[in-house]
Amino acid sequence: MPIIVEEKCKGCRLCIPYCPLDAFQVVGKKKVAIDQERCVECYVCLRKNVCPSQAIQPTEIEGTLRNFSHFLSDPTETKATTGVPGRGTEEAKTNDVTGRTKIGQVGVAIDMGRPGTGVHMVDVEKVSMAMAAAGLEFEESTPLTEIMEDRATGKVKAEYLPAHMLSIIVEGNIPADGLPRVIQALKDVSGQIDTVFSLGLISRVDGEGNTPLLDEIERLGLPRPIRGKVNVGLGRPLVND
Amino acid sequence: MTHSLHRSGSVESLRGDYVWFMYQSKGINDQNIASKAVEFIAAAEAVGSENWGDVKSGCILEIPVEDIRARVTDKSRLRGVFTRREQVVEFLEIMKEKDTGLSIVITGLLDEVLPACKEAGVTPHTVNYSLGVWGKKELLPTEDVLAVTTMCGHHQVAPNFVEKMADEVRRGRKTPEEAARELALYCPCGIFNQVRAAKLLEEQAKPQV
Repeated sequence: MPIIVEEKCKGCRLCIPYCPLDAFQVVGKKKVAIDQERCVECYVCLRKNVCPSQAIQPTEIEGTLRNFSHFLSDPTETKATTGVPGRGTEEAKTNDVTGRTKIGQVGVAIDMGRPGTGVHMVDVEKVSMAMAAAGLEFEESTPLTEIMEDRATGKVKAEYLPAHMLSIIVEGNIPADGLPRVIQALKDVSGQIDTVFSLGLISRVDGEGNTPLLDEIERLGLPRPIRGKVNVGLGRPLVND
Repeated sequence: MTHSLHRSGSVESLRGDYVWFMYQSKGINDQNIASKAVEFIAAAEAVGSENWGDVKSGCILEIPVEDIRARVTDKSRLRGVFTRREQVVEFLEIMKEKDTGLSIVITGLLDEVLPACKEAGVTPHTVNYSLGVWGKKELLPTEDVLAVTTMCGHHQVAPNFVEKMADEVRRGRKTPEEAARELALYCPCGIFNQVRAAKLLEEQAKPQV
């Protein structure tokens, strides 16, 4: 984890603006220290060398929780068990070759802690349990499903509940007719968490880019999305079913 | 990672902001990536992608293109930004012809990206739609700040850093372009659109009336 070596800190405070979660805190009259409760080990401060006096130094990341936070918060790090960088799953990005979200299904990607607020695992669990109850079938290989005690309930292993990270994704698929349950559950649980999430809904589209999902979104009282991540279907072998 | 999907800002400011991605899929088409990645780099360079990179190496604003190219491995994931719709069309036309077999994703306003696909002769397969931010939104910074920070979807660009850069522009200590470039260096993927950021910072620096 990053620490500030007190003897080297000149109290210039130049480091303070660079922390995404505002973990640099002024202590006493001059010195700066890192609030380890806020720090999620994203390593921006170390990677970008934000201290002109080199007072910020790395120490070994100790323990499963801190390592987990680091993997989920530093996009240059690889989570060994998924084999993809950062918080990594693949949702729509490779759906042309994986076919993970099929015709008649809706993919759900809930970016917990985004944009930029960070998230505690207790809040992630609230959302994952709400999603399980609403019928979401979790994606197999994600950092979150790896630490679930029970994928049928969305419950997270107790030892991970104190974890704090920049973000993590709750991801899975539902049959298209299950979307109203999921949206209602998200509306309910969004008032029970001490953070934010960004919601993505994934669908196969026809050649013109159309899908019944857009009408369903409006029918559920949500604004019609204007931005999207378009998989342009050039991956091979192409999944067409 | 849906780190390009949820960008904030006015519709007007989101025009001229497109993110491109190259993806291999584990166990399906993840072999011999380096030679295919070179094709993506060539296409990005040919159409003038304003920023791009490989998260393992960094972005072109910080690392020479040759160094990024030399470090490409089978696990590399290239991604970058365009600021004009014409670039999207040309990029897709090139990559369709190269037929690398890797997945390609373009993120942006749907009323721009989908017609661009049609013009390039590619057929959209799947879309991930942004349904916005939910939950305790009072924790968020101002919309002006969010419009900039969300261009690094991994949130390596801090809200206070954006405010600091906006202040530097306001005081005339940095041009909007210099400030935007400084911010872009904190996004290791290369999907931070420094051209859009400069416009946003310039706007924020104008005296409030």
